[in-house]
Amino acid sequence: MYRLSKLRFGFPIGLILMLFLDGSISQIFGAQLFQPTATMVSHLVVLWLICAVLFEDRYEIPIARWGAIAGAVFDLYYTGIFGVYVFIFPLVVYLTRQVMGYISPNFLSGLLIYFIDITVIEALSYLASRMVHLTSMAGSAFLVNTLGPTLALNLALFVVLYFPIRWVYNWLK
Amino acid sequence: MQKFSFNRRLVIVIVCVIVAFALMTVSVAVRNKKATPPLVQQFGNDIVGLADRVVALPANGLRGSVSAVSELLNTYQENQQLKKQVSELAQTKVRDQTLAKENKQLKKQIKLNDSLTDYSAISAAVITRTPSSWQNQVIINKGSSAGVVKNMPVMSGSGLVGRISEVNKTNSKVELITDNNDSANRFAVSITTKSGKTVNGVLSGYNADTGEITMNNLTTKAKISKGDKVVTSGLGGVTPKGLYVGKVAKASGDDYGLSTKLHITPATDLSELNIVTVAVTKQ
Repeated sequence: MYRLSKLRFGFPIGLILMLFLDGSISQIFGAQLFQPTATMVSHLVVLWLICAVLFEDRYEIPIARWGAIAGAVFDLYYTGIFGVYVFIFPLVVYLTRQVMGYISPNFLSGLLIYFIDITVIEALSYLASRMVHLTSMAGSAFLVNTLGPTLALNLALFVVLYFPIRWVYNWLK
Repeated sequence: MQKFSFNRRLVIVIVCVIVAFALMTVSVAVRNKKATPPLVQQFGNDIVGLADRVVALPANGLRGSVSAVSELLNTYQENQQLKKQVSELAQTKVRDQTLAKENKQLKKQIKLNDSLTDYSAISAAVITRTPSSWQNQVIINKGSSAGVVKNMPVMSGSGLVGRISEVNKTNSKVELITDNNDSANRFAVSITTKSGKTVNGVLSGYNADTGEITMNNLTTKAKISKGDKVVTSGLGGVTPKGLYVGKVAKASGDDYGLSTKLHITPATDLSELNIVTVAVTKQ
């Protein structure tokens, strides 16, 4: 199924586009997103991956593999520290797939899963950055200044982009 | 059977965690020690950087046109204020030119070719920014083929914004001075006080809550007042002398009460960088 559909090209192209859009959004809205008391990081690439899990039904997209590739590019190109997102992205995809076994994919359950995924991503990347001394931020400051605002931004993006992305996936099928 | 698959999963998780740590440690070590990243990474980054331009250029263009409209609205007020400043600046500029010329002649007389203040500039555009809350990093569109070398200082607008942390062929990463990581290169800076004394020190970090850079390791106990200008001192290698960093906001005791710690307001707004200048020292 996957090999015959437009998803075969459409999914990776969308993934790469989202990856670059993350950086461009951070650059363009830098003044608004990166305030000292509220740092918001956009995770459009995660949104694309999670939506793939939500909408794939019979099409078996190798999402975790593509997640690892996106993570590798993210690590090398954006952060320069290899070995963080290359593991986190597939983990989040795996996590979402596990949860999807218990509930049916719809807007609300997707929102809840996305909430968990963003929390996992931010927490793990925070831990990794603390380990290699990229940041000295205290855990409480992380919760208030980074995790909260980031969740707010990404859930808002999910709400706005859920239906457009679903349309794109349906079109690609 | 159930137990077996659980064990296998556990092993996979543990192996992944160990590999992740190993990779992270190695890449941090490489980043701190080597002048350029491994060839594979460089090559990959160049390709990704080229692809990114396809997305980043339209996005940045769109931003430019939007901000152009919003800037048009308060142009009149700004124009009036600027007119006053221009007349003062013209005078300063002429004097500057005369002094620079005189300086050149004097240097020639004592056969001094390049001193600490001399540098040439490479201007570059910012392609994108790292979407991460702890790494204040931007990626610029000039790399080693344009002559960029690791650790060079980067300026934007009126002041210093950061240093080059990774160089690829056609793009490089700039670690902003607001980045607080342990391995960040600390700039050697100096302040000329009102009484004419020079105080040397090192930029030691960034306070996100107040938006101020801190300066430590002061060499003297000279009285420093608010508003004194902080410039790079040119000591310790690749940074030329006299790049403007910011103004002193306040002085306080450091964490142990033994020495003075200065808080500096940066000269440039570090959240909005479009065009930056890489300073290349002539050595």
